[in-house]
Amino acid sequence: MDASAFITQQTLTAAVPLLLAGTGELVAERTGTINIGIEGLMLTGCAAGYITLALTGSGALALGAAVLAGVLLAGLFALVCVWWRADQIVTGTALNLLAMGLTATAWMAVQNHLATTASLSPFTRLAIPGLSELPWIGPVLFQHYTLTYLLGLLLLGVWFKLRYTRAGLILRALGDSPDACAAAGVNVRLWRTGALLFAGACAGAAGAYLATMRTFSFSPDMTGGQGFLVLALVIFGRWTLPGLIAGALLFGALDALQQYFQGMPLARQIPYQAFKMLPYLVTLLALALLKSKRGGPAKLGTPWPEDRA
Amino acid sequence: MGKYLQTLILPLIVITLCLLVVLAGLALLGYPPVAIVTSWCEGAFGSPRALAAALVKFCPLLLSGLAAGVAFRCGVLNIGVEGQAILGSIGFVALLTLGMPTAPGWIALPLGLGFAILCGGLWAMLAAGLDRWRQVPVVLSTILLNFIALHLLGLLLQGPLRSPLTTAPHSAVLPTFQRLPLLMTNTSLHIGVVVVVIIALVAWLIQSRTTLGFELKACGLNPNAAAVAGMPVARRQVTVLLLSGGFAGLAGGIQVAGVSFFLSEAPTNYGYAGIAVALLGRLHPLGILLAALFFGVLDQGVASLEKDPALRIPHDLTDIVKGVIIMAMLVGSAWLLRRQLQARE
Repeated sequence: MDASAFITQQTLTAAVPLLLAGTGELVAERTGTINIGIEGLMLTGCAAGYITLALTGSGALALGAAVLAGVLLAGLFALVCVWWRADQIVTGTALNLLAMGLTATAWMAVQNHLATTASLSPFTRLAIPGLSELPWIGPVLFQHYTLTYLLGLLLLGVWFKLRYTRAGLILRALGDSPDACAAAGVNVRLWRTGALLFAGACAGAAGAYLATMRTFSFSPDMTGGQGFLVLALVIFGRWTLPGLIAGALLFGALDALQQYFQGMPLARQIPYQAFKMLPYLVTLLALALLKSKRGGPAKLGTPWPEDRA
Repeated sequence: MGKYLQTLILPLIVITLCLLVVLAGLALLGYPPVAIVTSWCEGAFGSPRALAAALVKFCPLLLSGLAAGVAFRCGVLNIGVEGQAILGSIGFVALLTLGMPTAPGWIALPLGLGFAILCGGLWAMLAAGLDRWRQVPVVLSTILLNFIALHLLGLLLQGPLRSPLTTAPHSAVLPTFQRLPLLMTNTSLHIGVVVVVIIALVAWLIQSRTTLGFELKACGLNPNAAAVAGMPVARRQVTVLLLSGGFAGLAGGIQVAGVSFFLSEAPTNYGYAGIAVALLGRLHPLGILLAALFFGVLDQGVASLEKDPALRIPHDLTDIVKGVIIMAMLVGSAWLLRRQLQARE
């Protein structure tokens, strides 16, 4: 595989978890809830997915466990923020802390009971017959895990649903005017809870992807801030799906280029921390250049119903 | 006095419930609850050394709690205490090891800690500037700055700050005369503990007795009303980030000067811990003092659970406790506030 194909393929590979978690968070933010605990949800997905895979050997069970773990923690978030109306940002930090503690404790408990941990992925790359044999395009686009193709369908589905259906209209309206939705007979809390659970499922799946399809391992700090990048990407994409996709691909490309250049002799003299810092620095600069506060849902982060102080 | 008693009830209920829930969870996992409690008490209170260690843990917890508390009270969600503390420790070590390696402690320590405050404050100023001029939300910029600070630390430990004497990426170890003096021999109890308690008392005085303290509180409670009353809301939000970052920077500096004596990449989690301390202390300096004391004792006890060969409970348990306490305090205070509002109507 030549350099351009390698970089393009790695771009997609790195963008998948960002896109997966980002789609869920985007839907949740459109309904007016912001969950900065996405990082923790992804980490929990990593742990649940990897541990289940190591114990059972079943890929489907691993993915299911990761999604379930994400949904459960997101349910806790919804309970505290939507039903009990606590501050969403601070609850998100608590969720991160909780996820860090839970995963580290669970990992300590089972680590020694796992037999072999190396290279046990049951997931195989699905080469689409015919298309995957095309030169350059084949290996780049049509030799990925099933989850990646499913993500493509999910993106298409969410895009269509948000834009063209009544449910999508409600989801979008919830973020700007929950009062109006309530007046129109929409159960605001149920819809928001649903969106948050969807975001939890997506983040859990993204975690499973990281642990069982990308690295084949688990470590307590393995998400390394990707969940926070997801939050930035949603803002970066101005709460639209095409914007999110563009942002995620940009970051995937950054990651792929970093991998490519790290292998070169010249780059070995640059400490790896410089490469690790890059995505955060670029995100911050991009947000600064974009003047990003505009365009978000008007009631983002505000509990409903609002208090009259 | 009745007001203070009422303020204490919620945190006490929350602490009791959370500890019971965590203990029940551990019991379900098969750990013996009685053994956990006795081992924990032994580790936290069992000896003067243990108590001293708890007080040493209390020190950065108090400072990061003040950092988060002062910002939250003013309505500025500074999630970047972690990064600001890292910058503080970098500033402290850089000044002492590169700038004045032979200066006596009574000159080097105040200057170094002052520089740590400055570095932490300026790092927070980046977020304030990005918010004011480029409309980047403080929540997001402070989180991103945490990661930038973390990798900056790694970068510096590979380069200018790295000690030539070690193979691991560490900074040079502070000489004995540049460390914080000990209060008790044979323990780790350093003088910083007294300093941070004085700082908390001063913070309380400023908050309750000065115009600045009143304005900060007003901006947090209702920025629109504060603006109508003629308060410079935007400027106060910058002030509060500077203060918050300063507290955080001092936390990072004091930890190096009194406990670790060199810089490494070991994670500290001051940011999240500070939020737990601030909320449990209900954003009040004296409450934060008590909350930091509680978490210091808790952390010290849990650290001994990990070392107990019969239990081997990972110290990450305190993260779970902190996360649950944050959520419970949020729900509890939101409920109290609404009850007060209803009572007024």
